This record gives sequence, structure tokens and C-alpha cells, in this order.
Amino acid sequence: MKVKPVNHAKAAEAFIEDTAHMDFHDERLWDLRQKRDGQMHILPEWQELRARASAIKEHTLANLPEYLEQFEANAKKNGIHVHWAADGAEHNRIVGEILEKHGAKSLIKSKSMVTEECCMREYLEPRGVVVTETDLGERIQQLDNQMPSHIVVPAVHKLIPDVAKIFAEHYHTDPNDNSAQSLAWQQRLAARPVILSADAGMTGGNFVVAETGSFVVCTNEGNADLSATVPGLHIATIGIERLVPRMADMGVFIRLLSRSALGSPITQYTTHFRGPQKGSEMHVVLVDNGRSHRLGMEDFWTSLKCIRCGACMNTCPVYRRSGGLSYGAVYSGPIGAIIDPTFNERKYSTLPFASTMNGSCTNVCPVKINIHEQLYKWRRVLAEHHELPFVKREVMHMAGKLMGQPTLYRAAINGTEVALSTMPRFVLYNWLNPWGKHRELPHPVKQTFHSWYKQNRLKTKKKEGESA
Amino acid sequence: MSTSRDAILTRLRDNRPDPKAHPLPPVARLGDMDNGQARFENSLQILGGQVLERQEGDTLATAIARRFPDSKVICSAVPDFEGTIRIEELGTPQQAASVDVLVVRSPFGIAEMGSIYLSEAQLQDLNSAAHLTQHIVVILSAKNLTANMHTAYMDRPEFHTANYGVLMSGPSATADIQGVLIRGAQGVRTLSVWWED
Repeated sequence: MKVKPVNHAKAAEAFIEDTAHMDFHDERLWDLRQKRDGQMHILPEWQELRARASAIKEHTLANLPEYLEQFEANAKKNGIHVHWAADGAEHNRIVGEILEKHGAKSLIKSKSMVTEECCMREYLEPRGVVVTETDLGERIQQLDNQMPSHIVVPAVHKLIPDVAKIFAEHYHTDPNDNSAQSLAWQQRLAARPVILSADAGMTGGNFVVAETGSFVVCTNEGNADLSATVPGLHIATIGIERLVPRMADMGVFIRLLSRSALGSPITQYTTHFRGPQKGSEMHVVLVDNGRSHRLGMEDFWTSLKCIRCGACMNTCPVYRRSGGLSYGAVYSGPIGAIIDPTFNERKYSTLPFASTMNGSCTNVCPVKINIHEQLYKWRRVLAEHHELPFVKREVMHMAGKLMGQPTLYRAAINGTEVALSTMPRFVLYNWLNPWGKHRELPHPVKQTFHSWYKQNRLKTKKKEGESA
Repeated sequence: MSTSRDAILTRLRDNRPDPKAHPLPPVARLGDMDNGQARFENSLQILGGQVLERQEGDTLATAIARRFPDSKVICSAVPDFEGTIRIEELGTPQQAASVDVLVVRSPFGIAEMGSIYLSEAQLQDLNSAAHLTQHIVVILSAKNLTANMHTAYMDRPEFHTANYGVLMSGPSATADIQGVLIRGAQGVRTLSVWWED
């Protein structure tokens, strides 16, 4: 059976219906964008940082096998167990085996998009492992049985009453609690005992340093450091594209990451793991899951430069007004729209169309990924692979024919003017025209430019020609 | 041993762009080179950290007593401050949860970010203590400030030697509920710097 493409437009429509949520979402993310701009303006070297970050990442990706081998050798020297997972299933199996070997039944973890990609919780829980997300936003999403809607702020689409309701159900707190302060405190109280009794801890990794065999985790809540230092077993799940060659390169990336993401100079915690702590065991699982394939895609490999800051999402007018969940994918927003189709071309075939092509995503990207150009290229690829939705495909097909033949086009345009002024609404505003759902079609003009030109200028020109 | 390892590396070698077209840029030392105490304190305040107030005749002990009047368990990770318990007496990572205030010395701070660095060397191998304690007081010398992230990563040897090294920039924080910034999330609720010179 063929998978159905995500109906982004329909899901977005539902999001837009709820004005209170949409307005907050829109404003909150735009505020992050403005804070990012504020940080950018403080640093005269901002553009140089971006250029260097991009060059370091492109170099690393072009030399990825060597850097991965270097990392592995150094990490092993430091006492880290290094594992390789070709896909999500293998990743989950590896993690499951490590936990089983230690008799670990409870796992506390910080936010990691790779484990979302692998659907790890869904794998571990039926096998008797209780997985607890410790990041506040991610925990809210876990309790609400939803995917993260944003890669940095996973519950950004929710308002205080939504969280109060979820906590009331699971933590037995006051369902009418309307203070973010007190709800965050409830999370701390609920998480502490789970953290203190956990058998194993898990983190992701924002950066992997080949030179030292280390990985770097950037967080704000302190939950990643708790997950890594309290239990005697630390597993880190990391995508293979996260490498940088040298520790000294981290200066460039740390200076860009949180400024681009949240508009704060740095995350509250920037933690460097180079080996197991005393009395503990450390594992790193390097996950491919389609990345090595993507590296071979001439137009799309630079999407692997992404450092997951979310700046492209915060700035995108479509994302801000449709919400992350409407993308139906682990990665949403502009960056999601260019990497999701590499996971499943048909399922995510609609996402590259969720863009106005304004290019803002490209402008804010700290590692200079040409996101909007890749969106455009994906549209072409999807058209060539016949993954366009029926209406879009047929309309494009007709448009192509029309535009290719001036006489036909002019006849049709004249017809359109008649249609716009005479046809009943139900003919003009129907499922064939999703554009018209929240918009009005333009008022028809009395005369097209072409016919006016023919009547006036062409005559004058002829006259001028005659008199010359 | 690992077949996936070999398969991944082979696929990367087959698929990668031309390495010659993407040379590695030299290491960058950019930005403001001010490593002064004023810049550090300003950055620290932006990230929600504070300087522990030193009044006339104060010792670290009297300053802590005034700042944290209700704290019972004050844990010391430094030889020159007593506290109510020494970090070495905490037997397991979990036991650090009983600590109200942890006193620890940082080998360096970063003026650009107001960050302080801690590793297992300062935490006496009990890394959890820096996160399970309710409050942390960090002893720092203005002589040990480095200007920015570039100078920190290029000049400080700890990034190449420590197994666990954390840059803490103010206390733990979250804005995950309706964008409201809350200082004191799941890790330390406050972070204070005590200048030792």
C-alpha cells in the first residue's frame, strides 16, 4: 500500500482556526527571531562567523569518513564504547541491548531529535523500559502523546492552560494553575525522584569533536547534565553529520548556536563529554538513518550542515502560522521541508510547497544552508518523480500548455475576466482552488493589458512608423 | 566487527562531495578581546547569574549565610572553605541531592558569556553535585578570565583533558511554558560568583 502524503494544508487550517493559539505561536516565534537579530547586531563579526561555520561544516562533510574514524579511535582511547547504527531499527536494538545488559528498566533522557527519528520510546516501552523525557517541553509533549512541534522549543504551540490540564492529569496538580512558574516547579518536583532512581541516562549531542573524541551538549534546563551524571550509565545518540574537526572550531559554533536559536548569547549549559565519569559507563551510538545517502544528493547534501538551531522555523511565516505539528514529521518548518523528503519522498511530498519562497530561512541560517533554493529544487524533483498532488499536477499541466501558446493564453485570460465577473462563487471557490480559502480573488479588470496595448499603443506605433 | 560501520563508511566515501573542493579554514580568533571583570559581570547578569555580595569584613562563610539564610547543608569542594559537609563525604551521585549550597572553585571564566567552567577535577569526581544542589557558589579569580569562546577553546587545556567539562552560564532556565522565562529549572536555581581577589 502506498503511503498517503501529509496533508499539511488541512492540518494548518485546523491550527489557524484557533486564533488564540495561532496568534501566540506567531508572536512568540517572531520574538525569538527579533532577539536573534539583536544578538547579531552586537557582533560585527557575525557574517564571518557564518561563513566560517559553513566552510568548516562543508569540509567536515566532504571528509566525514576520516573524521568519524578519528573520533571513534579517540573516543575508544578515552574509554567510550562506540556503536554504529545504519537506521533507526538498529539504533533501537543497540540501545535496548545496552540497557538489558545493565538490567536497566528506567531511562531518563534529555531532548534528542535523533531518538525521535528512530521512534525509540515506542520500541523500548513494550520491552519494559520506562522512558522519561526530562526536558520540560519534551516532557509536556510526551505526556500529551504528541511529537515535538519545534526542534528547540517542543511545546511552543501550547498555552499555560493546556499545560495545566496535562499536568493535572498526570501529576495531579491544580488544573486551573495559571502560572508558568508554578507549573515549571511542578515539573522539577515530579522529575527529581525519577532522576534519582533512574538506571540509565541518555543525551543527544550537538557537536562531536574528532580531534578529542568528545561530544558537546548544549541545553538550558540542566536536565541533560542530570541525565548524564546521576545514573551510572550514559548513552548518547548522535547523528553522524554532527562532527567538527577540532576543539578550537567549537568557538565559532557555540557563538552562533544559541544566538540563532533563542537570541541568548549561549545556552545555560555547554557540556563537554570526553569519557565516562568515575564509576560510570559511557556509550555513543552514531546514527546514519539516511544521512550517508543524502550526502550523495548534489542539490541537497548541504542540508547536513544543519546545527538544529530552529532559526529558519522562527522566521518562516508559513511555519509560524501553521504550527510544527501540521508538518506531520519529526522535523518541521523550512529545514524539515528539505530533509523530510529524503526519509520518505511520497509521504513528505507536500512539505516543500509549505513556503512562500521569501528566502528568510536562508538569510538567518547560521551555517548558510540555501534552504529556499532547496525547497524550489525539491518541487522540481517531486514533479519529475510524479509526487505532485493531483490538482496541483493537473493545474500545472494546463498552465504549462496555456503559457506555451500565446493565442490560447490570451483567449483564456479574456475568458477568466468574464468568469470572474459572471461565475457564481461556488464555481470559483471550491476544492480546486485552495488558494481562495482565506483570500478573495482579484476584481476582474475591464480590459487586459494586452488588448489595451493592441488598441492604443500598437496603433500609435504604427502611426509613428508611418510618419517616420 | 560492525558491518554497519563498514557499510556506512563505504557509502560516505562513495557519496561525498570532492574533498579538494572544501578545504578546512584556519582556526579563528575573532571578536572582542576584552577579558575584564566588568564585561564578565555584565554577561553573567544577562544569563541570570549574580555576584555574591561582599560587605565590609565579610568572609565567604558570612556572605553565604546572609545570601542563603535557610540553607542547612552547605557542601564544600574546596580546601579553604569548611561548609557543613565535604563533597568527598557524599558517597554516590544521588546523595548530592541533599545539598542546599555547593561551594566550588572554577579554573576559568569567559568574559563574553559570563560562563564558569567546572570539571571532575573541581567536583572531586562527583559531577552530579553541580546539578543536584539547589544553589551553587563559584569561587573565581579575575586573573583567570578569558575573553571569548575562541580564546577559551584555543587556550584552555581543560577541553582536551577533562572527561566531563561544563560551562555554566547562569543558573538552569526554561521558557518552555508559553515563553515565560524561568530561572531555576531542573538544575541549580541560582548561580553566584565569589571573587577571590
